Amino acid sequence: MRDHEHSNIADALGVALVAAMVLVSEPARAHIVDGSATGGFLGGFAHPLFGLDHVVAMVAVGLWGTFLGPPAIWLLPITFPMVMALGGAIAILGVPVPGVEIGIASSAIVLGGMIALAARPPLIIAALIVGAFAIFHGHAHGAELPPGSDAVAFSVGFVMATGLLHLAGIAFGLLTRWPAGRIGVRAAGVGIALVGALFLSKAI
Amino acid sequence: MSSLLQAFVDGFINPLTTPAHVLVLLALALLLARQPQRYAVLLVFALALAAGFVAIVLAVETTPARTVLLAAAAALGVMVAAASAPKPLAWLLAAVVGGALALDSPPQAVTITEAYATLGGAAVGACAMLVLVAAIAGHVKAEWQRLGIRILGSWIAASAILVLAVQLRLTE
Repeated sequence: MRDHEHSNIADALGVALVAAMVLVSEPARAHIVDGSATGGFLGGFAHPLFGLDHVVAMVAVGLWGTFLGPPAIWLLPITFPMVMALGGAIAILGVPVPGVEIGIASSAIVLGGMIALAARPPLIIAALIVGAFAIFHGHAHGAELPPGSDAVAFSVGFVMATGLLHLAGIAFGLLTRWPAGRIGVRAAGVGIALVGALFLSKAI
Repeated sequence: MSSLLQAFVDGFINPLTTPAHVLVLLALALLLARQPQRYAVLLVFALALAAGFVAIVLAVETTPARTVLLAAAAALGVMVAAASAPKPLAWLLAAVVGGALALDSPPQAVTITEAYATLGGAAVGACAMLVLVAAIAGHVKAEWQRLGIRILGSWIAASAILVLAVQLRLTE
């Protein structure tokens, strides 16, 4: 009983913390960039880490991959960066994509929901869902690629940080091997979807 | 340190510190690691590199070598990510990367002799990096390590695609 109360308090604190982070954070934006390769790399690496909407969606891709099992566990993290880069290229070339922020927030809701429901659609459907959202994430970051930075170093840092967020999701998702871990991962899915919903309310 | 040795060291370091060169060399090395005729592909790369340096000595004007390198990095990255490396394509890309890498490494030397030393250093540096990374990646046996290489390939492809878009935007 006492443990249950502690668990409820911890859950409430967790939700309050996430809500506070959402309220004080802005959608994926960070510019720690100078013209050097090192500055470009650090700026690119920091870029995806300072947008909570991007962070939770990237972790969700890894988490969902582990829920789906092989080959999705490695196929999604391999395909996501390349599709995301296409989205980034579209933005850099000046092609507009409507509803980018709504798309990013929706990605957290949908991916979080899939994890919470332990949904296992066919791999092609999962890849299409993740790929479609990757375009929105890539477009948002491509549009914010700062002029004057070392483009190669910035892009490498940006892609690496995104990939490491996927790997963090996969590592966390490995907890699904244990019953308690499955509950924890599905609860994380609920949290991710809630974060997405909060960002969606700000984007609309 | 004599100026000749300094020029050689400068050339040696150049492909290891220029981000676009590191990206494409890493991608080619990861592809080489999966090739049964690894050293033949490496020879193609070295010959193309030498041809590119000859072109520099013959005072070839500015070329779109950087764009070609990035396009090659994207293609190589996709091939590594897909764990698919058709032999003719691997040989062709090795030649393209060798030539473009040389053309994208014009020496900043005062004398002709120093310029040759810089080009020599760049050739040794590029080949050393290729051989070393390909040898390490070739020893990968565990499944998770193979997947790690494929993920690395996708990261290289993604980075190259983004930078290619920046290059295309700048040339508009």
